[in-house]
Parts: sequence; C-alpha cells; structure tokens
Amino acid sequence: MKPKRILMHRFLIIGFSILTGIVIILLTSSNPEEAISAFFLTPFSGSYFFGNMLAASIPLIFTGLAASVAFRAGLFNLGIEGQVYFGALTGTITARHLPEMAKFPAILITMISAASAGTLLTAFSAFLKIRWGVTELISTLLIGYSMIHITDFFLEDVFLDQDLGLIGTEKIQESLLFEKVLPPSGLSTAVFLAFGFIIALYILQEKGNFGLKVRFYAENPIFSRYIGLNCNRIALLTMILSGALAGLAGIVDILGVQERMIRGFSSQYGWNGIAVALISKNNPLWIIPAAFLFAFLEAGAASGSIFADLTPEISRIIQGVIFYLVTAYGLIDFLKERRRNGNALS
Amino acid sequence: METLFHETISSSTIITLGALGGLMTSLSGKLNIGLEGLILISAFLSPYFAHITGSVLAGTVLSLTITVCFSVFIYLLHDLFKADIFITGLATNLFAAGFTAFLSSTLMHSKGTVRFSGFETVTSYDLPLLSEIPFIGVLFQQQNTFDYLTVLLIVLMYVLIKKTTFGLHIKATGLNERTAESAGINPRRMHYTAYVICGLFCGLAGSAMTLPLGAFVGGMAGGRGWIALVAVVLGRNNPLGVFAASIIFGFSAALSNLFQVNTSISPKLLMTIPFMITLLALILYSAKKQKEKEE
Repeated sequence: MKPKRILMHRFLIIGFSILTGIVIILLTSSNPEEAISAFFLTPFSGSYFFGNMLAASIPLIFTGLAASVAFRAGLFNLGIEGQVYFGALTGTITARHLPEMAKFPAILITMISAASAGTLLTAFSAFLKIRWGVTELISTLLIGYSMIHITDFFLEDVFLDQDLGLIGTEKIQESLLFEKVLPPSGLSTAVFLAFGFIIALYILQEKGNFGLKVRFYAENPIFSRYIGLNCNRIALLTMILSGALAGLAGIVDILGVQERMIRGFSSQYGWNGIAVALISKNNPLWIIPAAFLFAFLEAGAASGSIFADLTPEISRIIQGVIFYLVTAYGLIDFLKERRRNGNALS
Repeated sequence: METLFHETISSSTIITLGALGGLMTSLSGKLNIGLEGLILISAFLSPYFAHITGSVLAGTVLSLTITVCFSVFIYLLHDLFKADIFITGLATNLFAAGFTAFLSSTLMHSKGTVRFSGFETVTSYDLPLLSEIPFIGVLFQQQNTFDYLTVLLIVLMYVLIKKTTFGLHIKATGLNERTAESAGINPRRMHYTAYVICGLFCGLAGSAMTLPLGAFVGGMAGGRGWIALVAVVLGRNNPLGVFAASIIFGFSAALSNLFQVNTSISPKLLMTIPFMITLLALILYSAKKQKEKEE
C-alpha cells in the first residue's frame, strides 16, 4: 500500500477522532466552550499537565510495541493486559525484596523479572501453537484473562499493604525509582527508556536479518518453511519478545510514576496498545505519535471532567471510534474509487 | 445439586446463544470474532430500552436491532474496505467496552453497577405440561423465558442448517465461495445474512444476561463471548456440537460460582476456572485435529 495513502489514513484517524470528540462534547456538555477548552487545551497548559500526558504515553509505547511485534509476524497477542499486570506484580515484588545494591543493577533485575513474567505467558501460548496448533489468538486471551484474576488474588491476599486505603502493595524503595525529569509532573527518565526501545526495535525490524525472516513468515508461512526458515523458532522468538515488552510496560509505569502497584492501575494499557500498533501499521517510529494520541485523549477527558462537566468516559468512546477507523485502511481507496467512478462498488 | 443444575443452564444459555450466532458466521466462512462486544452492547441496551419504554419486549427488540447493526458493520468493514475480519471483530469488542462505559456514565449517571427500573425483570417459571413429565420434567422447571427460548432455538438452528436449502447454501459458501457462486448462490448475501442472524443471537445473549437481573455492570460479558467463540470452534460447525461445548463451559462457570459461594477459596482464583477449562478443551481439540491431519 502506497506510503502516501497510509499517511493520509493516519491523518484521517487523528482528524476524525478530534471531530468525534468535538461532536460528543457539543452533545453532552452544557457549556461546550469551556469543555472544549478543558479537553483540548488544558493538557498542554504547563509542565504538570503536559508532563503527565507524556508519562501516560510511555506504557502505551511499550504495549504498542508488544502488539506490533506480534502483528508483524502475523500473530495475535491478545493477552497483553494480563501480561502487563502479571509482569508489574512480579517486578514490584522483586524490587521490594532486593538486597542493598547499586541503582542500575537493581532496576535492571527488576525489569528483567517483569519482562520474564510476561514472556512466560506468551512463551506458553507459543508452545501450545507449535506443539498442538492451538491458535494463539484465543490462548493468549484466555491466559491473559486468567492471569488478571490470579494477579488480583496475589495482590489482595498476599502482598496487600494493610495500611493503604486501596488495594495495592507497599511502596517500592525510593532508591529504585526512576528520577523525575519534569516536576511537578510524574514524567521520569522512563521516557528515554521508551524511546530507546523504539529505536532498538526499529533497527531489529527494518535493518536486521531477523526482521526479514519475520516478514517472510508473516507473508507466507508455508513458503517460508520451503525456503528453509525455522518457522517455529520465528513464532517463539516473536512471542517471547512481545511478552517481554508487555511485562515491561507495567513495571516501567510503576517505577516511573506509581511507586507501588495498585489494583487495576494498568487497565486498558493492553487494548489501547493494540490500537496504537494498528494505527502505526507496525512501524515502531509511528508508535510514538499514536501512543501520544491515546494519552492525550485520556488527559483531555480527565481535565474535561475536572474543569468542565464532561464525563471521563468520553475518552473511551473516542478511542472506540478510533478502533474502528484503524481497521479501514481501504477507506481512502474506497472514497477515491467512488469519486472517480460515480458509484461503482464492485 | 439442583442449584448447580440451574446455574449450569443459565450460564450455558448465554454462551449457547452467542455460540449459535457465531456458528452461522463460521458456516459461511467468515467467523465473527466480535461476539463478546455484541453481547456486551445488548447487555446494556436491553435493560436501558426496557427502562425507557417500560416493556421488556420493546427493550429487547430495540436492543436486537442495534446489535444487528453492529454485527453487520463488522462484515461491512471487511466487505467494502477490505479490513481484516478478525480485526473488525476485535475492534467491535474494544469499541463495545468503551461505548457501554460511556453510555452507562452519560445516560444512567453511574460508572459501577447500573440499576434499571420501570419494567418487570424476567422471572423464572415452570413450563406447563412439559415440566410435569417425570425425570425429564426437571429440565423444564424454574427456568426463564430465555432458557426455554434457547432450547427452541437450538432445535430451530439444527433444522435450519441440516434440513433447509438455506442451510445448504450457507455451508456451500463457507466451503468454497467461487463454486457456490457458480452454482447460483450469492456469497455476499449469505455472509450478510449470517451476520444478521449472529447479531440477533448475540443480542438475545446480552438480553438474557441483564434482563433477569435488571442491572448492568461494566465488562459484564466477562469473557463469555470469547468462550462462546471457542464453543463454535469445538462444535465443528455442528449445532449440537456447539451446544454440547456450551453446556460444558456453562457447567464450568456454574462450578466456579458454586465454589465461590460454598468454600473459602479465593473467588479470584475460582474465576479462572471457566477460562482454564475452555483452554484445556481447546488444547485437546487442537491436538486431536492435528493428529487427524497427519493421518
């Protein structure tokens, strides 16, 4: 598909989502001007709002990469929500039980443990696919749902901080947290980490041998086998990478912003990550603006509900519309066809 | 023991209805992944419209209409804009979650449990005559209209698929579109019809979930749409197979509920039971299928 068309489609998505937002605001707010200003402008006003918005896009960059890596190989990882959540808890508990050590190795160990937790789940799905042909679309989903419940169990019954008003763990040691880069917002050095991963994955995908093999495998798995590619290994490595990125998404958010794990903190990270991957058409560089778009919608809805009379759920319906929009890459072709041929649909 | 039986029936009803809808699309060759989303949409809209109109019937009909629209939209995006049908189904699931959350917050001003009033919730009753038959009669006691309707629909679907020309046409479309086309069948019409039927069934599933309760909770479908999808796969395009799978999954949900009520095992862990059983069933099915392929 022509790059220009894809670019147009991306702008169509952004434009349409803004339009949808405006329409809904006009429909539901008794003071539309105030609401529109709160939704579209407040998130950019000052380092607190803007920094928090950037911080909110970090987990989506990771989950976007996780989904994108799988899609690239023609695989569906629908269990990202569960991998994020389980990885986050594993990382948090690891961090809290580390002995005294230097900051860098401590954070490294924490992140590796979170990534491994996510990988454990996706590797299992990959194994089921390789060994018995179980479709990963369903197995990742079922395992994901289950792990959310299981993680909640551990959160509520084992690692609960009794003194906290909510359901969550105790705080992670100050020494292990990422440094803030834009106070008073929650934006931390994690943002550099996120960019680093984007670049790393871009190189892996576009410039490496592995990326080439993955593309062949996605295009035609049977042909790939004929030309000697080890399809099972490609699928397994892809899923491992996807799970690792998902596991990182949660722990990076905790070390950067949350400082402890709270029940439900990562809600929608996985699903929005999938939308981010679809918008970016699996190009890592485009994940950044896509993740930012989603973070902006959340921030806009939040300030809309605080400073105006909008309901915070407004972000969810705009996101919902985007989910539909990303599916229709043929929309631009279709519209062009209609204009050219009058009304020919065949 | 009796409660387990009744719980199984009510859990199975929802899964069965969703699965029968999915079965239609599977037969036509374009499986609808969006069952979960369609069920969720109807789960909110049925009590909402019932609340507005005061009538359960009107509420159901209106909700079904909209659910059918969403279902058709899934195929339409694929047909007109060449979108991947799995992705449009997935998009529907994601949209439905946000959509119902938004409607729940905007229309009913509640983000948690939404209680609907203004209509009579669907109740359980004994079916006259049939419930008096010794032994089998138990099946027809103390179920609600949706449960009885489901049994009727299973029979209807079986007849439709196995005994009518339409059933033949749908299966032909699913097996080989081009051949079906040369035989005079319109594949597009078959697909759209399948998706309309799927919308109807998923709509009923959603209604069956909330109309007896008169309340809606966010994310209420709780994965049952996905479990229905697995039931479709396991049923091997046979309505009786789909029903059997749905009963097994319904039973696992009932078991989970029973343990939650009667034991002190953490409810969170117990909630994984239906998913684990569904996964196990899928693994066994896939393994068997793989073995058959190799022979």
